[in-house]
Amino acid sequence: MNGLGDILRHPVGLTIGVPLLTGLIGRLLPRAWRREQGIVAVAGTAVAAMLAWRVFAAGGLMPGAGPWLVVDGLSRFVLAAVATFGFLIALFSLGHAAVPPVAREYYAYLAWTVGIACGAVLANDLILLLVLWGLLGLTLYVMIGLSGPDASAAAKKSFVIVGGSDCLLMLGIVIVWLLTGSTRMNGPVLPFTGGLTYAAFLCFAAAALAKAGAVPVHSWVPDCGEKALAPVTAFLPASLDKLLGIYLLARVTRGMFAPDACMNLVLMAVGAVTVVAAVMMALVQHDLKRLLSYHAVSQVGYMVLGIGAGTPLGLAGGLFHMLNNAVYKSALFLCAGAVEEKAGTTDLDRLGGLARAMPATFATCLTASLAISGIPPLNGFFSKWMVYQGIVQSAGAAGPVWVVWLAAAMIGSALTLASFAKVLHAVFLCKPAAGTDLREAREVNWAMRAPMLALAAVCVLFGVLAVPLPLRTMILPAAGGDTPMIGVWWSGTATAMMAAAFVFGLLLYAVSRAGRARECATYVGGEIVGASAAPAASVEVTGVDFYRTIEEMQPLQSIYAAAGKKLFDLYDVGTSVLFYFVEALRKAHGGVLPVYLTWVLAGLLILVWRLAQ
Amino acid sequence: MDNLTPMFVVIPLAAGFVIPMVSRRLRAASDVFGVLVMSALAVMAAAGARRGGVYAVGDWVSPQGIPLGIEMRLDGLAALLLIAVNAIGLAAVVFSVDYMRRYTSKLRYYSLFMFMVAGMNGVVLSGDFFNLFVFMEIAAIASYALVGFGCGHEELEASFKYLVLGSVASAFILIGVAIVYNMTGTLNMAHVATRLAGQPLGRPMVLALALFLCGFGLKAALVPFHAWLPDAHPSAPAPVSAMLSGVVIKALGIYVMARLLFNVFGAGAAALAVLRGMGALSMVAGVMLAIGQWDMKRLFAYHSISQIGYVALALGLGTPLGIAGGLFHMLNHSIFKSLLFLTAGAVEYATGTRDLKRLGGLRARMPVTAGTSFVASMSIAGIPPFNGFWSKLIIVLACVQAGRHGLALAAVAVSLLTLASFLKVQRYAFFEAAKGGTEHVREAPPLMALAMVLLALLCAGTSLLALTGIASPALIDRAAQALQAGVFGLP
Repeated sequence: MNGLGDILRHPVGLTIGVPLLTGLIGRLLPRAWRREQGIVAVAGTAVAAMLAWRVFAAGGLMPGAGPWLVVDGLSRFVLAAVATFGFLIALFSLGHAAVPPVAREYYAYLAWTVGIACGAVLANDLILLLVLWGLLGLTLYVMIGLSGPDASAAAKKSFVIVGGSDCLLMLGIVIVWLLTGSTRMNGPVLPFTGGLTYAAFLCFAAAALAKAGAVPVHSWVPDCGEKALAPVTAFLPASLDKLLGIYLLARVTRGMFAPDACMNLVLMAVGAVTVVAAVMMALVQHDLKRLLSYHAVSQVGYMVLGIGAGTPLGLAGGLFHMLNNAVYKSALFLCAGAVEEKAGTTDLDRLGGLARAMPATFATCLTASLAISGIPPLNGFFSKWMVYQGIVQSAGAAGPVWVVWLAAAMIGSALTLASFAKVLHAVFLCKPAAGTDLREAREVNWAMRAPMLALAAVCVLFGVLAVPLPLRTMILPAAGGDTPMIGVWWSGTATAMMAAAFVFGLLLYAVSRAGRARECATYVGGEIVGASAAPAASVEVTGVDFYRTIEEMQPLQSIYAAAGKKLFDLYDVGTSVLFYFVEALRKAHGGVLPVYLTWVLAGLLILVWRLAQ
Repeated sequence: MDNLTPMFVVIPLAAGFVIPMVSRRLRAASDVFGVLVMSALAVMAAAGARRGGVYAVGDWVSPQGIPLGIEMRLDGLAALLLIAVNAIGLAAVVFSVDYMRRYTSKLRYYSLFMFMVAGMNGVVLSGDFFNLFVFMEIAAIASYALVGFGCGHEELEASFKYLVLGSVASAFILIGVAIVYNMTGTLNMAHVATRLAGQPLGRPMVLALALFLCGFGLKAALVPFHAWLPDAHPSAPAPVSAMLSGVVIKALGIYVMARLLFNVFGAGAAALAVLRGMGALSMVAGVMLAIGQWDMKRLFAYHSISQIGYVALALGLGTPLGIAGGLFHMLNHSIFKSLLFLTAGAVEYATGTRDLKRLGGLRARMPVTAGTSFVASMSIAGIPPFNGFWSKLIIVLACVQAGRHGLALAAVAVSLLTLASFLKVQRYAFFEAAKGGTEHVREAPPLMALAMVLLALLCAGTSLLALTGIASPALIDRAAQALQAGVFGLP
């Protein structure tokens, strides 16, 4: 057994320790040193990221920390991803104008979150995991709360849902502890022998899904996304919590339990509903950040579908999608932060035409939008492709129901593209609505640009070089070895062919029609825009006009109306039900002394009766 | 140490009389004296934690059968309670120095406070029924007076209700004592326990047990005997609320229940089931009543019912793990709940209100209060790394281990609702934007802040008990062993 000093000097210990120390140093610096706070955080997270990549490259267990920490294929790649995102977000925050008022606490909690998350990913002991998991809920709460008084309701809701799921995690851990007699995560796989095992598995799954934000425990993500600072959302709900939640789900389904067909069915149903329901909500949003948050929920569905497929390919697809989603979704949220800073709003009604003023932001947003919509050859396509294959592979385990899951996944993908067409149009391409002045908008500074462009580059890289780069080094070792694909997709060749086609098209355009532009009516895909039914060239199409028909179509209209009343929000429904009982109890406590005395006497009689038995 | 045992009662009792006498001229003397007395008691309690023994007051020998003599017994459980009572008492007194300036008669306040502490220490140390009753009445009567100390309309009404219900409970307890004496011919708990050991309880003793559970259940504010608490605890001055919710309901209520049930009446299945049932009911009803409250202290008060429910539930499991978890939670609750009441007091001191709808923005204006309140809220909600997390973990573990899965689920669900209602407090008082009229708000005076910071440190510090407790017999283990020893016997 090594001493504490040895553990702290080891890269694995340092990955956890350095960010924690960084946060402490930042917290102790004077409040007025706002710039320095940021620099300390950037430096600390950069060191942590480098260490994490070193651990990733070296692999292997740390001697002496065996029962507590585990470095295996799964944890080391999530570790590297977590630390890297921490660094990128810290860098972005350095340039983001909304951060300085709360700089000291913000950077401290950011660094602490990185350290705790690294610990949670490496934890092999369930109690240690539970503690770190709970701490992450705490830092999540504080970081959302720091975004300002407006965010306090969202902070509360997030922590109730995430913290509440931690309670379930506690219950699950306790059951596993008593069933196996050990708190190791890499112990023997627990077979489904009785109701208790199912209960434990469902507790773990609920905690993982709440963290990742899957339906029906998703509703904190949109609220948080809308109200919290953009880098907070880009870091926590969009990347870190997805990584952690799906990491836990993968670890639980692979190393601790062996889910049977029934449990896989539950997972896949959750995944399919999440994909479709959330993307339908995203279609009709008017706020950029809220829209992106619904997509953050929707994408979780793919990961859960992949893991729920129960095949190695599905698991690999789910994990790859988790990584890809973290990349493009945080890029999108950072874009939203950049737009918010320069345009002063994220309301799609009041944005438009920013492509010229903010080219780097537009390029990032375009790349990430195409990636999330699953357009080849970007990374989102590849991982969705793997998830589809996983679903097809799962056929036979539970009858023909896999067709439903596949259809849901594909419809979700199409609707995602539709939704991002709206985003790109409304924010960057269309003319701004009357009465809004965005002429002052400029590109953001380098500290914000660098992380955005880096993430966009990763979107391309992980798509084009999917097999040699991320899959071979990270995903397949994490998913437990090489898994042959059942479909065919050579991303390199395809990219080359697409590029050739694109160049050919450009040539054709230059030869045939250059300079002979023709004016015609705006194509609005058959939508009825504005007051007049006839689409005309003069009609301005703002992004919010998109998909009105969907919103007004029955039965979708009723469903949207119900969603507007929060009938699908577990948090709000739970609150209403709870307060029904609370009111009844409160009516009983009227403050009348004789009533209370009657209770005492009745209680005594019951006691006597019960004890005399 | 044996010779110091009665000092836990003698010192505060004497101080209760001496403080008003010596401080009539010099106002500051009462503050200094009060803090000194409580410091001394806290140090003595900490030092005495590892000792134990029986002290026969006046050296009266009490041979078998002759009900003479007064015994004081200091075992692991009593030591745990002494530490809680006197440490929380110290924090409350330090807090009072500035806080109680708003009230007219600080001397009477200190006097009553000392009587309350003396009564509680006496209850905890008593080795016989009659002394237990007398000390309980000393503490209870002092607390009736302290609840009504503000002499406003609401305070007096609350005090009156507390007085009536408390007297009913005391009457029940006295009848129970009479029955016990009648049936066994002795009031010494150890002797009663030896007489009762090894045979089923007769009908009169069952009635006595029911009367005790009802009477002390009322002092502990377990459902359905809880109705006085949500009025009484918020009405008292903040440091007294901290004492009432922090330690009084435990020393006078849950401690005595546990002592009688485990060490005297021999923890039968029916009695444990009753304790579990009352605990589960309190746990659920308390939190549901709390979550709808907008008065900060009233919300905290309902949570006391809920948290005491956890303790009763865990003790009612009757397993070693359950007992340890329950006692640990009792200690933790005394720390974080008294801290919560102190922060509520600080908020009221600074803003003049404790209505959550009218508060807001205090995070920036009162950083110490906000920080300590956050720590306490996270502790009670069972968020790591604070102490409440560990005791809840042990309780849930004990429930599952005992095969009570429904109770484990209830404990987990109540934990969620507790979190939700404390996030409500955090949101409306600290995170939300400030409402109008809070421009003048400033942080609480240094001594109040000191008391809060000390308790907040304890919230984090007692977590270590859980970590070290696994490896070595510590405070909680010794207390749990005292209960598991069965017959109230010698350490």
